[in-house]
Amino acid sequence: MSAAHPVYRTLVRLYPRDFRQQYGDDLVQHFDDLVADRGTAAACGRTALDLAVTVPRYRLETIMNERHSANAVSIIVGSIAAAGVASVLVGIYPGALLLVVAFVLAITQRSAIARSLRAPDSDRRRRRLHTAAALAVLFAASFVAYLMLIGETWSTRETVLAIIGNGALIGAVGFLAAGLLTPKTPEQQRNGART
Amino acid sequence: MAAADPNSHLPLPQAQFHVLVALTAGERHGYAIMQDVEASSNGLVQMGPATLYGTLKRLVDAGLAEELAHRRGSDDDQRRRYYRLTALGQRVCAAEANRLAGLVRITRANLRPGAA
Repeated sequence: MSAAHPVYRTLVRLYPRDFRQQYGDDLVQHFDDLVADRGTAAACGRTALDLAVTVPRYRLETIMNERHSANAVSIIVGSIAAAGVASVLVGIYPGALLLVVAFVLAITQRSAIARSLRAPDSDRRRRRLHTAAALAVLFAASFVAYLMLIGETWSTRETVLAIIGNGALIGAVGFLAAGLLTPKTPEQQRNGART
Repeated sequence: MAAADPNSHLPLPQAQFHVLVALTAGERHGYAIMQDVEASSNGLVQMGPATLYGTLKRLVDAGLAEELAHRRGSDDDQRRRYYRLTALGQRVCAAEANRLAGLVRITRANLRPGAA
């Protein structure tokens, strides 16, 4: 095994996970064969060029994959909307522009967002509902802290609590809606029918 | 699902056609495919590891090649994954070869001395 073997094995991590899991060992085996057959310098030269061309290409293909693309759009829209709401709540009114951008994105990319939300993945549904529950707890905690700490003058700590609480509330509602819109698996439906 | 009409896969990207041509000689593992591609192209086509396996993935996804579940042979062979053409892959490879042969005929006819 050459000294370049661990370096290439590390560089293989740059490829998208699916490709890496499917062909990672084959890539390393192929590299070792190249080193044994052509020498380290020739193998490294060919493989460096291969990495430079294929890593961005396969990464881009993964991003352009329909499901990943839909997820990315929904995350971007959600992030922009959350940033817009949060900035308006703390009095940074240019944040309204972010809300307009999120609204326009949501309208123009509605089919991609719908595909993302309807992905038939039970783990996804469970994760979304768990995230909603965690954010709801965070909202409740920040609300209680806010009531206990609020004074006659608006201070920095109250601003921080307001940001956290409002952000958590918006996130909880968003994740709850997304979780409820995600279809159950047949197994979950059977369990629901029994109860 | 793979399209059953060979013509729907044409024209094949160069790398895919080279790999299919290598597999027409029989089942091969990745490194042997790379060696065959280099030999058949007189060293003009040199594939790196990820280019080769990315191409194999596309061929397998399109139903033109398949991975062998089991392979009899030496211990070294057991560690490697072998690939072979599917029936559809053979038809697509033949169709692409015919397409390219047609282009070669036209080119030769047009470039023949006095043909202009």
